[in-house]
Amino acid sequence: MSIHSPPALACRDVTVRYGDVTALSDVSVAFEPGLIHAVVGQNGAGKTTFARVASGLVQPTNGAVEIAGQVIRTGHVRESRAAGVELVHQSFALPPSFTVAEAMEFGAPGRGRLYSRKGLAEKWRAHLAGLDIQVDFSKRIRDLPVETQQSIEIARALITDARVLILDEPTAVLSPVGIEMLFARVRRLKQRGVTVILILHKIREVLGIADTITVLRGGRRVEGPVLAADISADHLATLIVGDAVKGHKPGDRDALVGNGGAHADVPSGHQRYASLAPALVLSAVSTVPDSEGAPLDKVSLSIRPGEIVGIAGVEGNGQKTLVRAIADLAGLSAGTIALGGEDITRKSLAARRAAGLRIIPFERNIEGLSLTSSLWENWSARELLQGPLLRLVNPARIRALCDGSLKKWGVHYHTSSQRAGSLSGGNAQKVILAREIDDDAKLIIAAQPTRGLDIGATAFVWESLRAARDKGAAILLISSDLDELFDISDRVVVMLSGRVAGAFAAPYDIQSVGAAMTGAGAAATGTQR
Amino acid sequence: MKDRAIAILRSLIFVSFSLILCAVVFQFAGYNAPQMLTAVVDGAFLRPGAVEQSLRWALPLFITAVGVGISFRAGFFNIGAQGQFYVGAIAAAFAAEALRGGPAFIVIPLIFLAGMTGGALWALWPGLLKLRSGTDEVITTLMGNFLAGLLLVYVTSGPLKDPSGSGQQASSRPLDAAYRISNSLGLSPTIIGIAIVVGILMWLLVNRTSFGVLASLAGRNGTMVRWQGAKLWQLGLSSFVISGALAGLAGTIEFMGPNGRIASGFLPTHGFTAILIALVANLSVVGTAAAAIFFGGLASAALYLPIMAGLPAAAIDIINAAIALFITARSNLVEKFLRLGRRSS
Repeated sequence: MSIHSPPALACRDVTVRYGDVTALSDVSVAFEPGLIHAVVGQNGAGKTTFARVASGLVQPTNGAVEIAGQVIRTGHVRESRAAGVELVHQSFALPPSFTVAEAMEFGAPGRGRLYSRKGLAEKWRAHLAGLDIQVDFSKRIRDLPVETQQSIEIARALITDARVLILDEPTAVLSPVGIEMLFARVRRLKQRGVTVILILHKIREVLGIADTITVLRGGRRVEGPVLAADISADHLATLIVGDAVKGHKPGDRDALVGNGGAHADVPSGHQRYASLAPALVLSAVSTVPDSEGAPLDKVSLSIRPGEIVGIAGVEGNGQKTLVRAIADLAGLSAGTIALGGEDITRKSLAARRAAGLRIIPFERNIEGLSLTSSLWENWSARELLQGPLLRLVNPARIRALCDGSLKKWGVHYHTSSQRAGSLSGGNAQKVILAREIDDDAKLIIAAQPTRGLDIGATAFVWESLRAARDKGAAILLISSDLDELFDISDRVVVMLSGRVAGAFAAPYDIQSVGAAMTGAGAAATGTQR
Repeated sequence: MKDRAIAILRSLIFVSFSLILCAVVFQFAGYNAPQMLTAVVDGAFLRPGAVEQSLRWALPLFITAVGVGISFRAGFFNIGAQGQFYVGAIAAAFAAEALRGGPAFIVIPLIFLAGMTGGALWALWPGLLKLRSGTDEVITTLMGNFLAGLLLVYVTSGPLKDPSGSGQQASSRPLDAAYRISNSLGLSPTIIGIAIVVGILMWLLVNRTSFGVLASLAGRNGTMVRWQGAKLWQLGLSSFVISGALAGLAGTIEFMGPNGRIASGFLPTHGFTAILIALVANLSVVGTAAAAIFFGGLASAALYLPIMAGLPAAAIDIINAAIALFITARSNLVEKFLRLGRRSS
């Protein structure tokens, strides 16, 4: 590539170490101005660290950052912002209780003035309109759909005439339609001359938007920036994954890198168990509204033993309530739940677990593990709760059993008395698998089981779920990653606003599943207000 | 094992830092710091009879502190030990009044039962408020302390008033000698026995039962235990009740043993010292025993200093305050110190 003007953003020999962990090592890369650049790689490849270094949030151990040809002090957000670099975080940083107008004003340059509500709205109306964002200024952030929250984050980043906008995993929370809208917005920004750097991990998305592609793997730059037109999806997949999934199914590799449409092996549930009674039956279940998410509205669902049923949907459409309802953690207003043919509607979670319910919860570090407690305590909690509280236990024996189990599951750890918080995400998830997947499991709920895990751990979780299915367990998989769902589910059910909005069988069509996720297919007129 | 060593080291460092701070304060206040600290050690352990005196204070403190530790472990900052201690003593005094004249082998157990029930009930209502409606237990138990203190004033100058009292300090009628479990020096085989039994039972509860493991998990992450199917109110309420019952038991011992009566405003710092002990001990039962003996020694020295050494008893308050300061600050200094130690090892 010939360079006419200095790169919009350049990093030279950037290395970042956190303790013993090297997150980035000797990364040098230069981004041409006025283009859309994608930085891709798997979880743990160093993408987010890269974005943080570029935006001044993280001070690299080594290396320099240049913005529009000027070397800036690394690790200083203010200097990076002054030079025109803005970062939109993966997890949104807007205060949920703020109104749109307040959120825009919050942190904006110039301060110490008095505002009226009207004045604030007036102040920001033109800015948002210029970015084609239509929103009610008096609405609170928490009441907005994720797409709108994200566009407000982007608008905030553009307040100070940013020349380089970095978006960290912006598609992770969006539906396929939302992603299209985001990409359209990014293209408009490009027309305005903004250099956009997108941190992504799905090949389909990368090839759909980027002008150039840079691949990170294991903290190193393995390719790029190359023109997107010059690289094939297959080659890109190999670059991203490396040797990590050799020996795994080809469909798994494509799912890992989001190379959609290429699912060679269509999963099929185990016919052996097809004649058995359903493991889980939800009959017209509705829940009492509470603060934790959309309530269920007459959800009916049935899962046979030896079957993986995936739940797709934009986050916040009742998936969490579904899990909480099955776990007796949400109040039912109507309907019944049966586990293995037995009505458990009025049974406690402990009784449901005794009947074979197992849960890999959404929040690994909050609902799944007590990070400040030891591994053996975490591991033994389910078992201990099956007996009386005053039962005498022998910690030495529990530790020995725990050691056996964790070794069997391939957890890397020093001692069973170390804190769960000292494990990496993948190892922590394996501890949960070791606790939740046993021979008595009849229904395993796996909620976002691979979120934040690297390639090896993700593939391991998939294999573990398949193995449990092959032994006759029913599996309910909730994921916001369609590639994951399509790869391992025997059926996919879409949830929208607490209702079942569609059911699909393999081979899956991403267009129709995506339409069901946003309600576009069923009620094209219903979404407009 | 290594974790335990670090925990012990941490507590020792807390205490040493506090003593150094105190020495500085003493010196600036015009006293001779080494002489002062020597007098404290004398008063606590070295002079004749000091060990007995220290144990007299240490054993009830130990019992209350073990209870405090159990509720802290379960994640509830029950700072109402003082109130539960008072209500336990009041309930015991009422029971003693009602059962006056009965055979000792029946009356004594009933008084104990009444005292423990009183303490437990005084912990039950903050527990219920916390678990049913999320009311901050720090506020309710703290208020409970004041309420219990006023209740004690009322009871000792009202229903249980000793008509022959001098009037300087309202108190209940003295307990019949037949029901006393120690003389006024306050150390007897009965009290030692109770403390040992409590220690063993609570050690078993914390370290060798499902309850112990699950309550500790719940204390660190209640959400996780709920997703495992635990009933948090069951774990939480039992922790509250056990800690209240133990504080009530300590109140009963003070009433039936050394004091022989309850007096308005007696032992006003018992519960707070017990909280300090539990924190210094890092909530371990064995550690609580060690810390209780240390603080019992300080209590004994507080009596000794003004009388025998002509030094102000306030010195002991300063030491207590300094320890509390370091413990509550979770001293960054100590953390850094320990981390340095670990890195070089």
